[in-house]
Amino acid sequence: MTLITSWIGNTPEFAVPFALAALGLIITEKSGVLALGAEGLMLVGAVAGIGAYLTFGQTAVALVMAMLAAGVVSLLFALMVLVMRINQVISGLVLVFFCQGLTTLTGTLMGWTNQPVPGLPAIALWPLSELPYVGRFFVQNLVVYLVPVIFLIAVWALNRTTPGLRLRAVGENPQAADAAGIPVLGYRLAAIVIGSALIGLAGAFISVLSTKLWISNMTAGRGWIAVALVIFARWSPWKALAGALLFGCIEALIPQLAASGIKLSQYFVFMAPYAITLGVMIWVAAAKRENRSQPGALGTPFIREERT
Amino acid sequence: MSELALRRPLINRRYTLELRQHMAWYWQALILGASLVLGLLVSGAILVAAGVPAGELLNEFVLYTLFDAQSLKSVLFQASPLIMVGLAGCLAFRARFWNLGLEGQMIFGAIGATAITLWDIGSPSLRLPLMILTAMACGLLWAVAPVLLRLKLRVNEIVSTLMLNYIAVNFLLHLMYGPWKDPKDAFPYSPKYESFELLPDLPGGLSLSIPIAIGLAVLVLWFVSISRAGLYLRFVDKSPDVARSVGVPVARTILMAVLFSGALAGLAGLMVAAGQEGRLTHSFYVGYGFSGILIAFLARNNPIAATCAALLIATLFVAGRSLQVFYQIPFAMVQLIQAVLVICVASSDFFIRHRIRRVQGGE
Repeated sequence: MTLITSWIGNTPEFAVPFALAALGLIITEKSGVLALGAEGLMLVGAVAGIGAYLTFGQTAVALVMAMLAAGVVSLLFALMVLVMRINQVISGLVLVFFCQGLTTLTGTLMGWTNQPVPGLPAIALWPLSELPYVGRFFVQNLVVYLVPVIFLIAVWALNRTTPGLRLRAVGENPQAADAAGIPVLGYRLAAIVIGSALIGLAGAFISVLSTKLWISNMTAGRGWIAVALVIFARWSPWKALAGALLFGCIEALIPQLAASGIKLSQYFVFMAPYAITLGVMIWVAAAKRENRSQPGALGTPFIREERT
Repeated sequence: MSELALRRPLINRRYTLELRQHMAWYWQALILGASLVLGLLVSGAILVAAGVPAGELLNEFVLYTLFDAQSLKSVLFQASPLIMVGLAGCLAFRARFWNLGLEGQMIFGAIGATAITLWDIGSPSLRLPLMILTAMACGLLWAVAPVLLRLKLRVNEIVSTLMLNYIAVNFLLHLMYGPWKDPKDAFPYSPKYESFELLPDLPGGLSLSIPIAIGLAVLVLWFVSISRAGLYLRFVDKSPDVARSVGVPVARTILMAVLFSGALAGLAGLMVAAGQEGRLTHSFYVGYGFSGILIAFLARNNPIAATCAALLIATLFVAGRSLQVFYQIPFAMVQLIQAVLVICVASSDFFIRHRIRRVQGGE
């Protein structure tokens, strides 16, 4: 029983990084920029968060610095895809490689590796926290409770505000948006930076609040799983949140399985999230629904010089 | 008119970008060279910031690595698996298939070869050829699922190949910490290969892996530029729809190119295991997967250019190892420098394809 209770209780902590990263990716991709760099930007957020905590000693500062750091590094990606018009797949991959190298190097040279940080205290949402079995689901740190709020704001901003509408227009048909006087590259730049800041927060959540230390390449493919999650969720933030909960559930099960003493090599257990991601991708593809929700101009650079 | 000019972003205010139709080859080479130099300067700055004395850089990288017979040999030795993964990248990317699973295919290639050694299959004289064939077959098999899923169900191969990499890595760790661990060794390594299971040295001390790599580069060159499949591949690369309508067997062409790519990656795994390490280790694959992708990109998917790019990256690998030893700089530096170089070279393309012209008289 305690196994199930703690499994349910741990789920949000594992789900939050997927949720925030997927939301960041959705915001970027709604503007028509294919964002594959999540894995790298999460690492940047993760190392920057730990570094900022070890320097300033404030968790809030650490989280803000992580978002800033990921935003700043994403300017490099913006330079590649918006100004230099380098293939967006290559740009995303190079960004991941760049960030993997950069964060490992920074973490090692600054001596930030394996330095524990305290994280944030858990807050119990009384009376929900007293419920049987699911009670521990409602004993989480502040950032976990902020995630639904962030989602609400993002969905409202994307669907109900003029900048949100323009952002989506830029992603669907940049030529038309440009003709209507919308600064296409400006919106794409904003989408990249805002989305990347959220992805950076996802990374910092893993290092500062969940694992509470930095190890190089600690995101272990979660950024790629978030990329897959956005595809299953068909660029819908709420579906992405649901998917993140599902993957949080799976990840939260891993330490439980290890603790339960199941006779299975731990490495097979570690494979589970990747195998399940692959399985869900196949299942979604086999369901063969027409994929109309992908932003129309996803992955294509906006080139204006043909217009006179 | 002036209102419009004011509303434009700064960069477009007085300059305009034009697509360039043609640029003389020497200008292209000059721009490419300049971008490489810029990338190397940025990398040098990063190294200095990381604590390498600036004066030592030239010594460490250029003189020590390239003008010392022993380390030149190790550059060539290091280059052969990189040539393999680079060629593997070229083949898959020519079929417009983002094979990011080079690492997984490499891991399974090496696992397959190691299985042959551990289970003592075949006589000693047949052992090495058998290992090579098994490595290629295992690499190929690990590429089957993503390519079929992409062709049949249009499953995004970027994600599927990456997920398969993580699965392969965990399987390797399982073997290395579990059933295949050498009990005599404290590290998660397999037992050492027998001497007849290692890639032999040629007279003169060069490893056999170097002629194999060069031979395969020529084979891939023949495949992509002379063979019928290569012609089909060029159709598919330019436009899969047009290719389909003129009767090119698109699916079969993509399948063949990707499986060939997987087999080459598997062989790269064998080259590291049986050429360099002499056993399977838990981290032998680190850095190769993405180097293959970057090499193919730098080479614009041309096998000969990929061979040259692999030599450059091999130099980096060797220099990176000595930096690790002498200055305790993590090997991740090599990854960072590769990324910087690729960003610079990719950006140079922009200046080759575009002309920046000053607008006369403020429009």
